[in-house]
Amino acid sequence: MSADSAQSGGLAITGLVKRYGTVEAVAGIDLEIQRGEFLTLLGPSGSGKTTLLMMIAGFQDATAGDILLDGRSIVATPAEKRNFGMVFQGYALFPHMSVRDNIGYALSVRKRPRREIAGRVEEMIDLVQLQGMEDRLPAQLSGGQQQRVALARALAFAPPVLLLDEPLGALDRKLRIEVQAQLKDLHERVGTTFIYVTHDQEEALSMSDRVVIMQSGRIEQVGTPQELYSRPRTRFAATFLGKSNFLHRDGRVWALRPEKIDLHVGSSGDDRTTGKILSQTYFGSVLNYRVETTEFGVLEVDVDAWRGGAALRPGTVVSIGWHDEAVVPLED
Amino acid sequence: MKPGFSTRFNRFAAWVLLMFLVLPALVAIPVSLTPRRFLSMPQGEYSLRHFETLFGSPAWMSSFAQSAVIAVSAAFLATVLGTLCAIGLWRIASRAAEAIRALLLLPLVVPPIISAMAFYRLFVPLGLMDSYAGMILAHAVLGAPLVLITVSASLAGFDPKLEQASRNLGASTFTTMRRVILPSIRPGVLAGALFAFITSWDEIVVTLFITRFSIYTLPRRMWNGIRENTDPTTAAAAVVLLAVTLVVFLIWVLLQRRARALNPQPE
Ligand SMILES: Nc1ncnc2c1ncn2[C@@H]1O[C@H](COP(=O)(O)OP(=O)(O)OP(=O)(O)O)[C@@H](O)[C@H]1O
Ligand SMILES: [Mg+2]
Repeated sequence: MSADSAQSGGLAITGLVKRYGTVEAVAGIDLEIQRGEFLTLLGPSGSGKTTLLMMIAGFQDATAGDILLDGRSIVATPAEKRNFGMVFQGYALFPHMSVRDNIGYALSVRKRPRREIAGRVEEMIDLVQLQGMEDRLPAQLSGGQQQRVALARALAFAPPVLLLDEPLGALDRKLRIEVQAQLKDLHERVGTTFIYVTHDQEEALSMSDRVVIMQSGRIEQVGTPQELYSRPRTRFAATFLGKSNFLHRDGRVWALRPEKIDLHVGSSGDDRTTGKILSQTYFGSVLNYRVETTEFGVLEVDVDAWRGGAALRPGTVVSIGWHDEAVVPLED
Repeated sequence: MKPGFSTRFNRFAAWVLLMFLVLPALVAIPVSLTPRRFLSMPQGEYSLRHFETLFGSPAWMSSFAQSAVIAVSAAFLATVLGTLCAIGLWRIASRAAEAIRALLLLPLVVPPIISAMAFYRLFVPLGLMDSYAGMILAHAVLGAPLVLITVSASLAGFDPKLEQASRNLGASTFTTMRRVILPSIRPGVLAGALFAFITSWDEIVVTLFITRFSIYTLPRRMWNGIRENTDPTTAAAAVVLLAVTLVVFLIWVLLQRRARALNPQPE
């Protein structure tokens, strides 16, 4: 299947706009998506992620702009002719059909021979590891199992592009992390282009080839997880992906990640400033300190918990330092 | 704890109201069992002779058959029309659609006598008077709004994402309707069909206006039976009419329960 779906699946979006009355849900988006890429749309609630995905799927008409699949415009193509797989928020499994019929649906509406459908369904069942559940109804499955049926159903017809709208939103945290790994593994095996919507930053960082940070219907920044994390361009990008301190220096704003700050009792050669600890919070792997500094106001500092020894008490005077490349200038 | 006065009074009033609603419907049962030759309450003695007369009479039996054919056909037609209408309006989902829905429900509130006159005026020039076609058509018009209501209620609980999922998987609008929408709203469609059946089964006003000699439904024959003589066979017919209605109603109750068991509503 990786052979047939890897043939295509490159998308280009130009000047895409969706207006509801006076609300601009999507306010001019330009984006290139490589075939086989795992691209994540990340943004707060109401930033237009679902709307953008629905326009790609063909359920919403674009107010302006164009969507190209392998160079051909698809905005006039109805949803049922686009051949994009989709995993819906809440899965939208057909409640009256068995797991087998749900997964075989796309092939059966394409009037494929019964033998072929049965074989393909079996293949998909193996792929998502649902052996033995073929005859159950969706209501008889757990959330994680339903999620896998939805995935198998969407991939059964080997679509060039798979759209996923918060597919893990309904799962508890432990299961979510497990399924994240499975999804990523699946992506590598099938070679389909994945466009993945989430507002969970960890999910975006751990799974994606590239992440698109969205705000108010616009793209705030696009890049690999490493690029976005180490070189955020705006204050919004710096806070939405990870935590950040903001320093005001030379008439500009600079971002400084809390774990890139060195903190120690007493002074050493290249300290930038000194400060007094206000509070400390324990997060298992890291210790977080809030430090009142003389030059930069309150800074957040993350220290590896296993390295820090005993936690420093509020009121302790500390020295603070960082490398030059740790501070990133912002556009604001 | 002993219930207070107002509680007891409420309970008493509820029972009186229930009797008031139900007893008139049930009065035909004892009357049909009277051993005498005229409509009367039996006094100590019961007999099935009027049921014998009923089932032995070719005229009554032909009325049964006519009523059944007309009610089944009208219910079928009303169900197809009402369901298509409901799905169409649900798909459009705009203010105009709401206005059209209200208009389509009009036959429910228009006094039957007005509908009857309208059918009469319309059917005479169309040559549909006193025909199966005319009866089925008229009763389908009366039943379709009920189907529209029950199917619309089912559609209100239908997740529109299921339709999107079906189209996303490559199904045409028609396939989506047949394989995803219809199975999901089946309880509403069946309930509508049953209501449409009952509506036609005991309809009399419109029937009186648009039939003459050849169409003699069960309610029409009962109407004549009561007017022309006081034959208790009419009461026996009423019991059968009621029994069929109750059976249909029972089917509806069972369907509702099964639908709820199969498809538990979240929250
Ligand atoms: N049918 C609609 N009519 C009017 N406004 C809409 C409609 N659908 C979405 N919007 C608006 O468009 C904006 C973007 O909505 P969208 O559903 O795309 O956000 P989202 O990023 O998916 O949010 P979430 O994370 O909560 O799912 C919101 O402000 C929303 O209120
Ligand atoms: Mg959304």
